[in-house]
Amino acid sequence: MSSTDLSTNDLIIDTATRIFADGCSHSVVEAAQEGVWAASLWTTLADNGLLEIGLEESGTGLGELFEFLRVAGRFAAPLPLLESLIAQFALGKPTSDTTFAVLQGTTVEIAWPERFSAVVALDVALGEARLVSLAGLKSAPCEVMLGEPVAQIELGAAWQAAADTQFAAPGLYALAALGRAAQMCGGLEASLNMAIGYCSEREQFGRTISKFQAIQHQLAVLASEVAASQRATDAAIHSLVASQSAAVGTSSALEISRLDVRLSDVAVAKVRVGSAVGIGAEIAHQVHGAMGFTMEYSLHQLTRRLWSWRDQFGTESDWAELLGDEVCAGSADDLWAYITSHG
Amino acid sequence: MQNQPLQFQQIGLPEATEELRAQVREFLRSEYPASRRRNSDFTSGHDPEFSQALGAQGWIGMTWPKAYGGHERTFFERYVVTEELLAAGAPVSAHWIADRQSGPLLLRYGSEAQREKHVAAIARGESYFSIGMSEPNSGSDLASVRTTASEVEGGWVINGTKLWSTDAHRNHFMVALVRTEAPSKNRHAGLSQFIVDLKKDGVEVRPIRNMTGNEDFNEVVFTDYFVSAEDLVGEPGNGWAQVTSELGYERSGPERFLSAFRILVELARSLQEQAARGEVSQQQKAQLGGLVAQLITLRRMSISVAGMLQRGDSPNVEAALVKELGNNYEKLVPEVARLVLPLQRRSGQLNAALQDTLLLSPSFTLRGGTREILRGVIARGLGLR
Repeated sequence: MSSTDLSTNDLIIDTATRIFADGCSHSVVEAAQEGVWAASLWTTLADNGLLEIGLEESGTGLGELFEFLRVAGRFAAPLPLLESLIAQFALGKPTSDTTFAVLQGTTVEIAWPERFSAVVALDVALGEARLVSLAGLKSAPCEVMLGEPVAQIELGAAWQAAADTQFAAPGLYALAALGRAAQMCGGLEASLNMAIGYCSEREQFGRTISKFQAIQHQLAVLASEVAASQRATDAAIHSLVASQSAAVGTSSALEISRLDVRLSDVAVAKVRVGSAVGIGAEIAHQVHGAMGFTMEYSLHQLTRRLWSWRDQFGTESDWAELLGDEVCAGSADDLWAYITSHG
Repeated sequence: MQNQPLQFQQIGLPEATEELRAQVREFLRSEYPASRRRNSDFTSGHDPEFSQALGAQGWIGMTWPKAYGGHERTFFERYVVTEELLAAGAPVSAHWIADRQSGPLLLRYGSEAQREKHVAAIARGESYFSIGMSEPNSGSDLASVRTTASEVEGGWVINGTKLWSTDAHRNHFMVALVRTEAPSKNRHAGLSQFIVDLKKDGVEVRPIRNMTGNEDFNEVVFTDYFVSAEDLVGEPGNGWAQVTSELGYERSGPERFLSAFRILVELARSLQEQAARGEVSQQQKAQLGGLVAQLITLRRMSISVAGMLQRGDSPNVEAALVKELGNNYEKLVPEVARLVLPLQRRSGQLNAALQDTLLLSPSFTLRGGTREILRGVIARGLGLR
């Protein structure tokens, strides 16, 4: 089963789009913001095999995983999909009760903590992860822009106790960052579509505001940012899928320890999409007027995710620094070769 | 859910282009040593000797039929050659317009005689063309051009003035867009294109100094200038369709985001030297890395458009989008670079690149279609107009 199989990819996009369109309504997202778990949506996704996407036994790979996350981002899906899928991918097997988080000191922040009994916790600096049980650990609620329940959990002794589960996962952080980039792409696409739709209906001064040049130019800028985001993300996914295919070539299943991620491709995506969010969300709201500023209208459900995701698993500055480091390690006369090596 | 209006397909340059890239780099190393490189702007060096050397390598008219002196190579191969030339700061201005759009225009709309007369000479790097679109009262509103061509025995007589024609004082020909019928309700009707010999009587080329101090663009005045019927390109009255067909070529290439590349090279050089002494901050590296991320993405988008050209599509909207983002990037690079390194810590080369690029930069979002026109094209692509 090739992970680049186009028809599998299309089928997953179609199925996921249908499920989210039916089950990820404005009210479901709104309820999640008040802490209500989208149980029905989660179950439907599970029943359709979409919660095991990316695993070898599901017949899918990383390409499908990221495409699925992009669709989820389009619908502002209020579920810890990235965390769950990344955890399973790291473990190489399906688990319904394990999430993923980055170790910060001795703590992790976990969304929807009630849903999970274990976490794949990643020490980014070491590139190593452990599978840590969450049972009985002390936690404190975090205030987050999404409104969804997030707990800061002190791993402490549990991290030490999980030493024998430790595995090398050098590319895991990049996978998570790229997952966020894919979700942000989806969110930006949906914001653009909402903005175009709104401006094409809203009338002022006797015509739809989409007929005003000032609005058209704003939407053109937004569309340009979306296009750049898609291109940067697609390239990083392509690069990752190629490296996955290469790694799988030597055995039946891919082990996360052997996943060779080209970090600079992910960095380009996270930097480019993150900066597009700043520009794009601002424009989407401006052209919506006060309507877009209401809780009742769905735009904010996308926007608060875009603003949250761009900070998670590395900001634009963090990932840009990686690129700057790589360039500074070479010679200036090789800068062009560095650029062209990112095809 | 609506469909996404603009798609830039994930596509890489074919592996086989790497050999060509190596050849171009070697050629530039031997023919054009690094010491002469100062600027990566495509208008910055008019050098017939260099253009002829490129022609001899087969690197002009690369995608054109062999029957007309072309080389029947792909748009990807052409892409590789053009980006290597620009990145190296090679003097490409002489043949640039002829290679990019005059040749393709003649191959698509020109007569057999025109192709035989001009196309092979362009591909040899011997025949140079300028653009004749803008006029004193017709800038972004191109359809309002007032230069006329009146039909006479055996040909046409042109009267009027073209403006901002880059290198018209150095080049051999211009493709001029003129009115062959009086303006009517359909503003795009009644326009035609002619090949104009800039060395003949009846045309006066007056260089205009731009704010860099250079004389690159011109005012070109036609007074009862006779062109033979053979110099009409395509059908009379079809000028608008022809001129807009050039836009995909004109707007999507690497010259739309590489004009400030020398700054990036010199900034990297300065930071590398300071990094070796441990004097570079995380923030400085991030600022450099941010510019690199944008450049890599623009290049990928431009390659996507090369793929559309290769498939025979007319990616006018996508090209406008690449130019819009690319021109903004070219203007952003000096703004970021100057803040990364204060004046006292810049190298002489970095400062020179900054000054050269800043002085040129107002032209980036004007030439080849202003930012305002491009955003209108993109908005049309979004279904808003």
